[in-house]
Amino acid sequence: MKLGLPPVLRLVVRNFASNFDPFSVVVRFGQPAMTIVVLGTMFSTIVHSSSLGGSTSYTAFLVPGMVAFQMVSGGVVSGNLFWLDRRWSMVEQIFSGPFLRSEYLAGLVLTTLLFSMVGVGVMVAVAVPFIGLPALSLLSILTVLATVGVGGIFFAGLLIALGTRLRSANAYFSIQSFLQLFLIFLSTVYYPVGPGTPKALAWILNGNPLSFAANTTRDAFRGTLTSTDAMNLAILAALALAAFLAAVIGFRRMNLGPIQ
Amino acid sequence: MSATEVVLRTEDLGYAYQTGRFALRHLNIDLHRGEILGLLGRNGAGKTTTVRVLTTLLPPTEGTAWVLGQDVRTAGRALRARLGVVLQSESLDFVTVERNLVLYAFMWGVPRETAKARSEEMLELFELGAVRHRKPWALSGGERRRFQVARELMHDMDILFLDEPTVGLDAFSRRRILRYLRERAQGGLSIMFTTHILHEADTLCDRIAVLREGSLLALDTPEVLKKRYGGAREVRVRFERSLALPLVAEFERGLSERGVSLRTLEGGDRPGTPREEFVFRSQRVEGLLPWISGWASSRSMEISSLSVSEPTLEGAFLGMLGEGEEEEERGPGGSAPRDAARPTSPEALETATSAPGGVAPPVPTNGRFPGSPP
Repeated sequence: MKLGLPPVLRLVVRNFASNFDPFSVVVRFGQPAMTIVVLGTMFSTIVHSSSLGGSTSYTAFLVPGMVAFQMVSGGVVSGNLFWLDRRWSMVEQIFSGPFLRSEYLAGLVLTTLLFSMVGVGVMVAVAVPFIGLPALSLLSILTVLATVGVGGIFFAGLLIALGTRLRSANAYFSIQSFLQLFLIFLSTVYYPVGPGTPKALAWILNGNPLSFAANTTRDAFRGTLTSTDAMNLAILAALALAAFLAAVIGFRRMNLGPIQ
Repeated sequence: MSATEVVLRTEDLGYAYQTGRFALRHLNIDLHRGEILGLLGRNGAGKTTTVRVLTTLLPPTEGTAWVLGQDVRTAGRALRARLGVVLQSESLDFVTVERNLVLYAFMWGVPRETAKARSEEMLELFELGAVRHRKPWALSGGERRRFQVARELMHDMDILFLDEPTVGLDAFSRRRILRYLRERAQGGLSIMFTTHILHEADTLCDRIAVLREGSLLALDTPEVLKKRYGGAREVRVRFERSLALPLVAEFERGLSERGVSLRTLEGGDRPGTPREEFVFRSQRVEGLLPWISGWASSRSMEISSLSVSEPTLEGAFLGMLGEGEEEEERGPGGSAPRDAARPTSPEALETATSAPGGVAPPVPTNGRFPGSPP
């Protein structure tokens, strides 16, 4: 007798069961949570709310940013999971079993989405003692989830595409760390783009996909969603599609041999 | 299903890299239900490529292959669901050994209770009970290999592909695994098995395919391969005392007249030295031994020991690949029925795995052999 669970879900269960040790999960959620608690509290005392574009405190400004950042966390989880599967030949082992490449990829995407959504929940829960329970409308909730989810697929797609091409762990993890740093520090997660921001920096910050996600999430939290947010989401979706296609192409061309 | 049912067949199967270099070419092999087929060849001969093409991991670039009645070019999940594959490279998940087994079974859709029971069986069978709570990276190389084979046996399958499954295993573990595989084959599981350990292939495999540079060189039972390509048997004769120079010359001349090439005589490159031991190779040992016995008796010489090695698969392998010492002595290859007698009992396997090369024990002779002149 065989279990009736679809192959994709079996792979998702396996992704969670086999690759998430409690310590790394705590670190992955704990780091942004600590940022909200410590950075939010400390900067709230020195940053005037008038410079935060409508947020009542720096913590209130930071929380949507950290929620949006969960797209990066979810993407990193899937990207690393894929890399480790490749490094330890589990990709080849799984492909030699009753699974399709598309199912493996779909499993990674679902893992990204689930991890990102759990991250959103954790960030909101951590923020409640500081900013209270955000009064989000159904549209706002859906917008936040869609933004983080689509953003997660973008970043996961990017890392998976990278993972299909690279054959060195050092190269992969260096590029992944750089991308993370680049995305978060050159985005509006921690700070808004103000009138005094140098033009070049403002251009980079405004062009960063994480900024689209952070701005839209922030507007959703404030209840001030506009057509710009819809456009942000659309751009993010287009980027996610492009990254996902790159991952698919990489998958099709991937050499399954052992890597270091 | 009949015992001779063909579960795998290739026709001119080939695989070429994008550079155009062939890793595999014109491969024609078949595998029957319950049969163990060994794939031998030097590094880069195409063994792993063969396994990867037959398990749909690589698409063939020429020829065809049917596995369980399905064309590997178009077959997908439905075919792979009936295959087991132990890859050459280590494939690990980052959970404990026991959890790995259960998780892998879960991925294959094996019900939880069955998976639990089977994992206990595998932990016991592959001697992994003591490390069941360890993560795979904390295992020794041999334990990891055992774990990988054990994990693959967690699900049901019709054909099992094993790519060098016993690398790094000690003799006890190897023997245990080979015995288990033999039992599973007797139960109807077809196995394709690559290895560099030739006596292991000799012991386990019903037939052996030898590959060279991606092409099939020979496909037959180990017995036939050894007979055809195994070359000469090694004879080691030791006299109780050194032979004086005239006797050495006479003995060597006698051997030479009976077809022994002096080139194969150890120490033959040091003429003019009194000797008490002679080691040489011959394909016609049966006719030679009575002559040695008679020669010794007629000269009042005592033979203190004499041993004759059996033809080995290693000899055949080296011979086929042109690495042997006596290529010129071998005849052409061919095929033979696959039903030649194989060691199937655990005892037979034990004997074979513990005596690589099958060297016969020294024969106490005192200058006499069965059938030799008194």
